[in-house]
Amino acid sequence: MLHALIAATGEPLEYGKAAGRAIALGFGAGGGAAGAGAGIGAVFNASIQSKTRQPELRQEVERDQWLGFALTEACFFYGLVGGFIAFFL
Amino acid sequence: MSAVAGAPPIAPGVGGTPPASKQPMSRARKITYAVVGAWVGGIVLFVVLFGLTAHKAPEVANNVFSPTDEFRLDTWFKLGPIAINKGVLYLLLSAGITIGVMVYISKRLRERPGRLQVTVEWFYDFARRMTRENLDERMERKYFPLIATIFVFILVSNLLGYIPLPVDSTQKVSVFGAHIPSLQIYAADTNVAFPLVLALGVFVLFTYEGVKHHGPIGYVKSLMPGGVKGPIVLLIFPIEILSNFLRLISLTVRLWANLLAGHMLIAFMGGTLGVLVGLQLVSWFLLPFGIAIFLFEAVLIAALQAFIFAILTAIYIGGAVESH
Repeated sequence: MLHALIAATGEPLEYGKAAGRAIALGFGAGGGAAGAGAGIGAVFNASIQSKTRQPELRQEVERDQWLGFALTEACFFYGLVGGFIAFFL
Repeated sequence: MSAVAGAPPIAPGVGGTPPASKQPMSRARKITYAVVGAWVGGIVLFVVLFGLTAHKAPEVANNVFSPTDEFRLDTWFKLGPIAINKGVLYLLLSAGITIGVMVYISKRLRERPGRLQVTVEWFYDFARRMTRENLDERMERKYFPLIATIFVFILVSNLLGYIPLPVDSTQKVSVFGAHIPSLQIYAADTNVAFPLVLALGVFVLFTYEGVKHHGPIGYVKSLMPGGVKGPIVLLIFPIEILSNFLRLISLTVRLWANLLAGHMLIAFMGGTLGVLVGLQLVSWFLLPFGIAIFLFEAVLIAALQAFIFAILTAIYIGGAVESH
């Protein structure tokens, strides 16, 4: 079974390298998206809650909300860029 | 002739109410249906015409083509010790636009502002509020120009990155016999040097202000959160020192990674992925997503990143001179 697989892949070393790169990209983008998604959800959750509780603070809450959104959203790109670096370089 | 001119020239249906028998589709809905129809039809057409087998271009199959070539900087010519390339051009352009617009507006401030002046005044107010909330009065007067400049400069160079300019010197297009570089979207921020220099400047600045305010020993002490006593200091102190230096990295990487990944996503969704897998169908399928990401980046991310960089500068400088 294993022999057949190795034979099918042609050059196992090259194949393994390519597979590792693909896994890195998948992990970077997927893990980054999952984490940042949860984070952005938490930011907007808190923002909506505080805005409905205290609508008079709307402006300040929204400013901090965008700050939190951008800080969290950057984490997705950390993972994605890490994946891209592993995949292409 | 006069009779015709005198008659009310209202054709039935024009300007009046639409015929009540059947509600016509609204214009927006018609356009939406047409666009979605064209997209789906295109997918079907691609499948029918080309099938689902991949035809890789020879450059892709031989690994000559790399999507990261978009960000490679080829030296065009040298100007003394400075090598002029794509990134430098973008940097000069955004600096020129920033300085040009700001000086132009400040030279001719009017009682009744034009559209450009209103925009610039809005940015001024915005940066002013951002600065005032994080710095005390003396520091605000000193650092408002810097923070406003950082904000506008990063914003301009981000937005410049979404306008196609003829800078792709690796691929030339022949127009009436003249070889001009093909259009490309590139931003100076996609090179790590640009945000790194800005972040280094900010880092040096807030360290300098902190040392000036607290003294060298006092500044290191002020990095500790107040009220931490006992052996836990040994644990907290290295972390705080580390986090101080991590500010430099996070400022850099945030801006750089956002712009780099954004531009790469636009490129991939806008066609490169189809080229890489050798299926034109994929390019066509992903095109709407590419447009969506382009709009998201250009409208939201460009402005947000400039805002984040500027407000973090203000927060860091304010935090450095703050006494516990």
